[in-house]
Amino acid sequence: MNALDVSALSVSYGANEVLRDVALDVRPSERVVLFGPSGSGKTVMLRAIAGLEPGAIGRIVLAGRDVSLEPPEARRLGMAFQNFALYPHMPARENIASPLRAQKLGAGAIEAKVRAVAELLKIDHVLDHFPRQLSNGQKQRTALARALVGEPKLILFDDPLRNVDAKLRYEMRIELPRLLARRETAAIYVTQDFREAMAIGDRVAVLIGGAIVQFAPADVVYDRPATLAIARLFGDPPMNLIPARGEAHGAGVRVHAAGLAFGFDAKPPEEPVFGIRPEAVTLSAGKAPGRVAAQVVAVTPMNERYLVLLRTDDGTELVASHDAPPPGADLWIGVEPGRGALFDAATGLGVASSSSAEEIAA
Amino acid sequence: MRNPVLKALRVIARIVIVLFFMFPIFWIVLMSFQTNAQILTLPPSLIFKPSLANYVTLITGHLQTSVGTLDVAFLQNLGNSLILSVGAVIVSLVLGVPAAYAFARFRFRLGEDMAFTLLSLKFAPALLVLLPLSLEFQMVGLDNTYIGLIWIYQLITLPLILWIVRGYFEDASPDIEYAYRVDGHSWLKGFLKIAIPLARPGIAAAGLLAFIFAWNNFIYALVLASGDKQPVTVGALAFVTASGIQYGQIAAAVVLSIIPTLAIALYAQRWLVEGLSLGAVKG
Amino acid sequence: MSDIATRPDLIVAKPVRRRANLLPYLLSLPALIVCIGVLIPFFTAVWYSLEAYNMAFPSGRHFIGIGNYIDLFTSGEFWHTVALSMIYMAASVILELLLGLGVALLLRERTKLNNVISVALLMPLMVAPIIASLIWKLMTNPTFGVYAWVVDSFGLTGFHWASSPGTAMFTVVLIDIWVNTPFIMILLLAGLRSLPTQPFEAAKLDGVPARFVFFRITLPMLMPYIITATLFRMLSAIQEFSIVYGMTQGGPGNSLMLFQLRSYIDFYQNTNVGRSAAILMVLWAITFVLSKLFVNQWHAMRARSNPGA
Repeated sequence: MNALDVSALSVSYGANEVLRDVALDVRPSERVVLFGPSGSGKTVMLRAIAGLEPGAIGRIVLAGRDVSLEPPEARRLGMAFQNFALYPHMPARENIASPLRAQKLGAGAIEAKVRAVAELLKIDHVLDHFPRQLSNGQKQRTALARALVGEPKLILFDDPLRNVDAKLRYEMRIELPRLLARRETAAIYVTQDFREAMAIGDRVAVLIGGAIVQFAPADVVYDRPATLAIARLFGDPPMNLIPARGEAHGAGVRVHAAGLAFGFDAKPPEEPVFGIRPEAVTLSAGKAPGRVAAQVVAVTPMNERYLVLLRTDDGTELVASHDAPPPGADLWIGVEPGRGALFDAATGLGVASSSSAEEIAA
Repeated sequence: MRNPVLKALRVIARIVIVLFFMFPIFWIVLMSFQTNAQILTLPPSLIFKPSLANYVTLITGHLQTSVGTLDVAFLQNLGNSLILSVGAVIVSLVLGVPAAYAFARFRFRLGEDMAFTLLSLKFAPALLVLLPLSLEFQMVGLDNTYIGLIWIYQLITLPLILWIVRGYFEDASPDIEYAYRVDGHSWLKGFLKIAIPLARPGIAAAGLLAFIFAWNNFIYALVLASGDKQPVTVGALAFVTASGIQYGQIAAAVVLSIIPTLAIALYAQRWLVEGLSLGAVKG
Repeated sequence: MSDIATRPDLIVAKPVRRRANLLPYLLSLPALIVCIGVLIPFFTAVWYSLEAYNMAFPSGRHFIGIGNYIDLFTSGEFWHTVALSMIYMAASVILELLLGLGVALLLRERTKLNNVISVALLMPLMVAPIIASLIWKLMTNPTFGVYAWVVDSFGLTGFHWASSPGTAMFTVVLIDIWVNTPFIMILLLAGLRSLPTQPFEAAKLDGVPARFVFFRITLPMLMPYIITATLFRMLSAIQEFSIVYGMTQGGPGNSLMLFQLRSYIDFYQNTNVGRSAAILMVLWAITFVLSKLFVNQWHAMRARSNPGA
């Protein structure tokens, strides 16, 4: 039995349809990331699941229980808000205890559970502080503790790391999956940050313009984006997208891009676009088969890697992510086998995944 | 401030302004501790032997005039003001806070219409409602009753509370209430435990301001209250007419009638600024 | 494309929608009832204004359509009332605005002294207008009033304050200024103190003259507050009753017969309910327009001072 099944969910504000016939399922203990640009309807979807969008139409089944008509308080899930939404007039202890009070637990049980979750999140020393006395990180953890404490089967996270500093974001990215796994809690996690999506999500649902355009394991979304739009959004730096030429070649298609040629098992697209992740672009000082010459235009360090902007002789610009400074100004570039993707700019859709691709020397 | 002449002018301007606005109150307070003979002495003097006789007369309720003893009900007037103002504010809070919440949280046509109707009725000429009402109250037996007066005082206090408190509800993030409901609490509990406590400064400011406006109201009570239900505003005027030349007692009556509102102003001045601008300026 | 979310295995039942929310209506119902209760006398007044109705002759009461209004618009007494009310409104609001703006500018800096003064200036606003008129009656009493004494000492022995038709308007406007200037001062002071500081700092750095700063920066930025305060004061000044009633009951003669005093006297002294109601309807039409402007302005100002809300 799934933790959540959403089907035919639509939300409109007046004439403006924010969500259009969306479906989503979350398996027990699974972490699903809702990824999309701002305004794509991620938060609205989360609120609809929580029962906070009175205009929502659709069916929401939580752990086998149809809650479509239930008010938020009857849905028994946890939620962490982007702005924390702590109760400013209650100390952290009472903030965390709130779901337990709603369950009408005894004082001893409440204190034990609050203490346990507070220790887990390392905020047990600030339980008597009011939200205004807490640091941003402590507020964040208090909000998480409140979502976790009632041991709901599903927790909704509305971009909870948006408003915290980089260090804390990094810590939580590692800590959160551990916390959730420990309690066997399923989660939906909204974010605009692909790194967070990769770190946290078992599966990623990409929401663009009120519709889910891809719902797949995180690495699949990364390696085989279903549309050009996803390829542009998911990844930092994003996938190189190079306008290409294609011709039928046997049962498949041969595509020419940046002076290289690739074969795919697909019909020739109308306007082929070849996609390649920056880290799948290989650099070498010497000429080799399956490589073309390129000049280094610019180099930017990023974390422990180097982003290298290159220009090939035919004028194509592309970014490579390399683990060392480039070995010179004039290089030879190639791509890792099996990492290319083919799109059709006329439809915006992915045509073929690179598993079938083979590089052919130009 | 580089220019010393300008600086001196600014000091003088401050003194003149404080004198203009404060002197009448200061002088009335002095008069209230003077005997009639002292009041009538010209030129006026700041040095005199203060007497509590005026206050004693007002509190005991027996006034000596040239034609004999007059019973004054000034304490009863004060009591009426208190009953009417407090009653009106409580009723307005009970009716107005939920409605203000509804206006702030839900976009519904009726709400906007009602908010505007109430506000424009508040701004409409008071007599327009009061004169017909005085005849209608007689018909239904509400004339000269606390209930009738408190009900019509809603026209003063309810729009004020509705508009100020609405602003506070609008400024509070609905996410906090949503979080509370997701925790498993009913709407009503969220309203009582989250929305109201968060709007408490606004509710307090609106309540105090509504009290001041109700206390200071004259025209409603002039038309609808007589004798034993009159508040101080109407009572003080009647007292002037009745007592004739008992100026010290008039001054004492004035002082007693303004003490409550001045005390509130001193206690809560920061909130009143917000309230007076109907929440348009956050102090 | 098999990754794209389609769930043929999930039987898509017919979509369900949660019921319409009755809560806002339930919450505002009690206030609505009070609101409706107040509308009853309002409509009664509209009806009265269309009747020949004199309480002294109840049997002669009958519907006359716009007869009362025709009588009003052809009577010099009515136009006298209109003129007086306009003079009262214009004089008090303009003077209060100038004085209030001046005081607000004077007290603009957040020093301790300025804060004490601004609290002190709040006091007249807390005094009921009727009580204010009693205070000023005592201050201007010809026998012992300290202001009367001061004016006399300057040799202006002919100055009779509210008891002479020539100076009555001056006196009541002065009291109105005393009571209501603090309102404008408070609103403008709050407005001034909430203005962003960068334009002023930039002007200071550029050595822009003070007069230019005032007319080109301060005044335009303060304008929403000035308009709000002005509309609010116009609304109450055009209806002023208490101050005049307390001072002179509309006299001497009919030299202070403002709108509401005229209708009050028509109702109680002349028992002419129909004409009294017609006068109030004319006043209501004026206040309705002003209140509509005020509410729009208030919304605009609120949106400006809380952009997030």
